[in-house]
Amino acid sequence: MNCDTYLTFALGKGRLANKTLDLLSQLGIRCDEILDKSTRKLIFVNEELKLRFFLAKGPDVPTYVELGAADIGVVGKDTIMEENRNVYEILDLGFGKCKMCVCGPESARELLQHHERIRVASKYPNIAKEYFYDKKHQTVDIIKLNGSVELGPIVELSDVIVDIVETGSTLKENGLAVLEEICPLSARMIVNPVSLQMQRERIQELVAGIRALQNKEF
Amino acid sequence: MSKRIIHTPEGVRDIYGKEYTRQLQLQETIRNVIKQYGYDDIQTPTFEFFDVFSKEIGTTPSQELYKFFDKENNTLVLRPDFTPAIARCASKYFMDETEPIRLCYLGNTYTNTNNLQGKLKEVTQMGVELINDDSVEADAEMISLVVDALKASGVPKFQIAIGEAEYFKGLCEEAGLDEETEKQLRAFVSGKNYFAVEQLLQDCNVSEYYKEIFLRIADIFGNMGSLTEARALVKNERSVYAIDRLEKLYQVLKLYQVEEYISFDLGMVSKYHYYTGVIFKAFTTGIGNAVVTGGRYDKLLGHFGKQAPAIGFAIVVDHLLEALMRQQVPIQLKKQKHVLQYDPNDEKDYVNKLQECIALRTAGEYVELKAASSKS
Repeated sequence: MNCDTYLTFALGKGRLANKTLDLLSQLGIRCDEILDKSTRKLIFVNEELKLRFFLAKGPDVPTYVELGAADIGVVGKDTIMEENRNVYEILDLGFGKCKMCVCGPESARELLQHHERIRVASKYPNIAKEYFYDKKHQTVDIIKLNGSVELGPIVELSDVIVDIVETGSTLKENGLAVLEEICPLSARMIVNPVSLQMQRERIQELVAGIRALQNKEF
Repeated sequence: MSKRIIHTPEGVRDIYGKEYTRQLQLQETIRNVIKQYGYDDIQTPTFEFFDVFSKEIGTTPSQELYKFFDKENNTLVLRPDFTPAIARCASKYFMDETEPIRLCYLGNTYTNTNNLQGKLKEVTQMGVELINDDSVEADAEMISLVVDALKASGVPKFQIAIGEAEYFKGLCEEAGLDEETEKQLRAFVSGKNYFAVEQLLQDCNVSEYYKEIFLRIADIFGNMGSLTEARALVKNERSVYAIDRLEKLYQVLKLYQVEEYISFDLGMVSKYHYYTGVIFKAFTTGIGNAVVTGGRYDKLLGHFGKQAPAIGFAIVVDHLLEALMRQQVPIQLKKQKHVLQYDPNDEKDYVNKLQECIALRTAGEYVELKAASSKS
């Protein structure tokens, strides 16, 4: 690969992006511009190392990476599962840890023991579908919501919800509980398969660097 | 007045003008290279019975096939790739042939992928199949043909990654994994998802020793050195044989002088399950997909009643064109058309221009003859 090609990163907006930039700065990769909250720029360049960064909405990150608009992406496992794109999931970054769970009022626990039809609200219809159909073999109606999913059981839109649980405090405050755990989640680094072939050395070096850092921490 | 629909459905498109000229020219260029290797053309139907593309065959998953019924209620499928169709065809027409059969094809394939992901549902594929030849020389011919085709297409830089389906299978056997675990592991290793590989093997109580090995193989890709490394990891015959085969292949590729385009990737597994030996993919910059995929499929023809080894590949013409466009490779049109205009009010002018036009056409030129518009 000629070295005037940029390596492009797509970072999921918010905490994940900040944590990722922290991690990269420990490897001597800096991009201070991106941390400036007042900027309206969309893409940030580190000319010295030939790197480009941009921030994107979480669910869009796998899209950018799959289609090759970004070489590398950082995004939560939940998004990767929901979007189901053809990307290499090369590294568990270890931060942003939480769980995908089925939640609802205690009274709904009974409904999960049988195969009868229930209503499930979620921001993650694909994950919910796969869990109920393929693992539990239960027929469900899935209702896609875009946020504040906890409202579902409270206003009786649905019997249970499938959502990310970090501390569980929002659930508790609203009289809901974790009924079943689907899987653990954390931030992952994903790579476009073509990029890994065409820019192998640079990406392997980066991955090795992060792995070394992770081993030090343990 | 009813609403007119003039746009195309999602995932399909009209190709015209310069873009189509370029596509046709590219197809002709690649076809020439394929013909130089002595392959004969074959055409199979656009749709076939579902059985040709069923789960047992191991092509595209059923939910991504375009299916419909004929009048007798048979399920028909728009072909998602050519290989099973050619295998069926070869089993039928060359049942008793034991000499190598070289076939090449060009046509459109159809996969019913998800909407709104920026993926085409109809793409043009060009490819070859070499049947009745299980030699390493046949493997090398395939890869060299890919290199020559890509060189001729004008892409300045590309890379061919080669793997071996048997290496992974042998290792799973050695580690004593059941079929279900092997299937899951295959998905994780091919996705280079190290974390999930570790989790899965932990859950299955696989020994630390094999856990380490499986984590390593997702990582083994690169030059010849990676083969030496891969060989050191395994003890079973099947995997060792796979490495032997790749080393021999590399020697033949050196004779073709194409080794600079080659890298090995033992973690590579294909989404098509019919591959049994060498598998390969070609990559270039500017596009997120492989432009060529191929491999050996020694059991596929058996499904259609002919026990014969075979190997082949398909070039996705649309992906290659997109890569050429993104890399700003200039189009060199082989022949420009002439435009002759005559004065519609002057009969003599028409006769003169027509004579000129006929002369040019006879000389093999492309000529458009039209009346000069009154505006110009």
